[in-house]
Amino acid sequence: MHEITSEAVPSVDFDVVRRVDGSGQILENYSSYLTDESKLSHQGAESLFFPATEAELSAIFREMAKQGTTVTLSAARTGIVGGAVPYGGAIVSLEKFDRVLGLRYDRSAREWLVRAECGVTVRDLNTWAMKKSFPGLNERGSAETKEFFHQYRESHTIYFYPPDPTEMGAALGGTVATNASGARTYRYGPTRNWVRWMRVMLASGEVLEIPRGKYFATPTGEFTVIDSRGSETTIKVPTYSMPRTKNAAGIFSAPNMDLIDLFIGSEGIFGAVTQVEVALQSWRSPVSIVLFLPSDDKAIEFVQLLRRGKCLHPEFIEFYSFSALAFLRIKQKEDPRAVGMPTIPEYAKAAIFFDIGFDPEARDNDCATLEALARECSSTLARSWAGYEQRDLERFKEFRHLLPETTNAIIAERKTSIPELHKLGTDFAVPDEALEEIWAFYTSKLEGAGLEWVAYGHIGNNHIHINIMPRTREEMHLGLSIYREFAEKVVSLDGTISAEHGVGKIKKEFLSIMFLEKDLEEMKAVKRALDPCLMINPGTLLDIVRKNEDTHLHKTGS
Amino acid sequence: MKILICIKQVPEITDVTINPETGTLMREGVSSILNPFCEYAMEVALGLKRQRRDTELVAISMGPPQARSALMRCLEMGADRAMLLSDVKFAGSDTWVTALTLAQAIKRIEGDFNLILVGKQAIDGDTAQVGPEMAEILGLPGIMYAVGVELTRDTKRARITREVEKGYEIVEMRLPGLVSISKGPMVRSVSSFQEILDARHKELRIVRASDLALDQDKLGLHGSPTQVVEIFPPRVKDRGELVDGSDAEAATEKVIAFLREKRFI
Repeated sequence: MHEITSEAVPSVDFDVVRRVDGSGQILENYSSYLTDESKLSHQGAESLFFPATEAELSAIFREMAKQGTTVTLSAARTGIVGGAVPYGGAIVSLEKFDRVLGLRYDRSAREWLVRAECGVTVRDLNTWAMKKSFPGLNERGSAETKEFFHQYRESHTIYFYPPDPTEMGAALGGTVATNASGARTYRYGPTRNWVRWMRVMLASGEVLEIPRGKYFATPTGEFTVIDSRGSETTIKVPTYSMPRTKNAAGIFSAPNMDLIDLFIGSEGIFGAVTQVEVALQSWRSPVSIVLFLPSDDKAIEFVQLLRRGKCLHPEFIEFYSFSALAFLRIKQKEDPRAVGMPTIPEYAKAAIFFDIGFDPEARDNDCATLEALARECSSTLARSWAGYEQRDLERFKEFRHLLPETTNAIIAERKTSIPELHKLGTDFAVPDEALEEIWAFYTSKLEGAGLEWVAYGHIGNNHIHINIMPRTREEMHLGLSIYREFAEKVVSLDGTISAEHGVGKIKKEFLSIMFLEKDLEEMKAVKRALDPCLMINPGTLLDIVRKNEDTHLHKTGS
Repeated sequence: MKILICIKQVPEITDVTINPETGTLMREGVSSILNPFCEYAMEVALGLKRQRRDTELVAISMGPPQARSALMRCLEMGADRAMLLSDVKFAGSDTWVTALTLAQAIKRIEGDFNLILVGKQAIDGDTAQVGPEMAEILGLPGIMYAVGVELTRDTKRARITREVEKGYEIVEMRLPGLVSISKGPMVRSVSSFQEILDARHKELRIVRASDLALDQDKLGLHGSPTQVVEIFPPRVKDRGELVDGSDAEAATEKVIAFLREKRFI
């Protein structure tokens, strides 16, 4: 069916909602809410709210709509495209939505499902799932939930939540809003693949409850939302095609699409996701391997071979370029313990980080194929780092995370003297067959430019992060110009300008490289249908002007 | 040259949680690891082997069958052989009996060693007793809390840098001897995947109680002079009450009333 009815949420007095008023007070005592990991400069906020329930959130939305005040949604603020950075108006922090609500086994799908509020972090969800301990679930769960929980604990299988954004402190709601992905997307796909149900609060203060597989667009690409008073709103699904890569740019569109997918990856511009139910995956015991190779080209060659290899089934394939290893070597010299790993060998000019199944108890794990692939690329399994205990898997992950952490720290320091600076981090992905071509293009542009840069990332999805760290305003402009060239090249190869980070406020100008003007208008039409006053997340994803100029909520995004 | 590294498998302490109802430690589902200080002992041993290629490294542990995985970690790191003392008769051993059992195994099976390295303490028991006890039983000089070990060319003496309260001291010791290792500036090494694969083909010998010719009464719980009765987290004290002293007389009366109520006076 294509029609869905939103439900009114029981009312609560707006004045009971915990809040902070005054831009000065927020700037002085709550400044962390004015920014996120993008370090984008904010435009202040007049109010900061901390709702703890949907009723409180609904009261906030209705009051802000009455006042004509925009609302920027906030939770863990780990995004790097400025999605949580306010452009005036009010900030609504969903951090108090932090409970696990339910656990069940879906017999038809044969999967375990966890229901949680939007402020639960991915890290916590994963820890709870793997340790089979969900705080408070036994106390507040229904009898059915308790029974399921008992079965879950008794099961010998370990389960985990596959989407693994590099920043695991991200809030679940945020990852749904951005269709977050990470290293394991190579094997398991992005967040979209794992969301089975959600509750999303619209700007009206009413809630849509959307299970996957129930609401589908008509053959002409329409949904109808009916509010509690019977008013109908028609939503026309955009008609463009999505790129042939993992993608977090623009609103999802597909023929006969599921309504739930409209909200996943929409960067919160249609409403606030308050609760999510996600599926879990059984854990297989892996070994993580960092294979050192003699060059970036050999590393890419290894990736192609690894992908084509039929028996290895890596969960992720990550890249450390020559520039990335050089960067880490400098850090190691400054403080060996900061890197937390042994000295990177001299012969390592690039590295591929991946994992494969491994049985630590077996005397013989057949790795002849892997050794053959390594040798074909002028390396060997003796030139690697590897580990399979949980603490080693975590250690490797921290090593991987050190690169974006360090580049962010460098930029934060440079911003103190030049506030306009920010990291230029590409988030582009191309189809498999274009990997060599795009890498050659990246390096040819960067090598002559004299900029400071590192390259690493999810090479299994042809999704390499180039981080340019400008030191001056001039380098910033040069970097932006190169960035644009990259974007144009990537789109010409049928790739995406945002594979995982979203567009936010920082990358809007690049959306027009990837989408035609009519495509952007189609996205704006959806926004206007679901949020007629353009209240939620102003300035994110789309620059949009309200047709009625009588209200000061008429232009967002500048 | 032969270096023995005595190691222990311990629970991953960061995974251990407290049962909110009983206040006891919940070890269910907690992974087991090579005791970190034992891992540093292995690192020191590997450093010495890099300086003298003819050095043989033998990792030894006493524990249940699953302690194999800790010894496997040592083999992956570069130990040449491993030995697991595992027998139901060893169960419940305190630190003294553990030291006795390990020492006996060393005397009977690996007696031609030059140096024994141990971690300074295990992160579960935290007693730091087994190393010194082994040195005493074996009649060896023992230096504890070392962060660095160097050997003379003739392997007759060791020069050890050890932690003291306000810094380090350097001590020389004749060999054979025993040294316990602290972390110092060491970063945990990482094995290559090839080393991990090769480790599974190295010798890991299981030694039973019957192999050691020890009086059975001296083994396990029965032979232990001490016994762990209970492990519990420290009880959280109440914050207490702060008495406002601006009115001295009133404050004094309040304190006296409190002391009387609690029967201190």
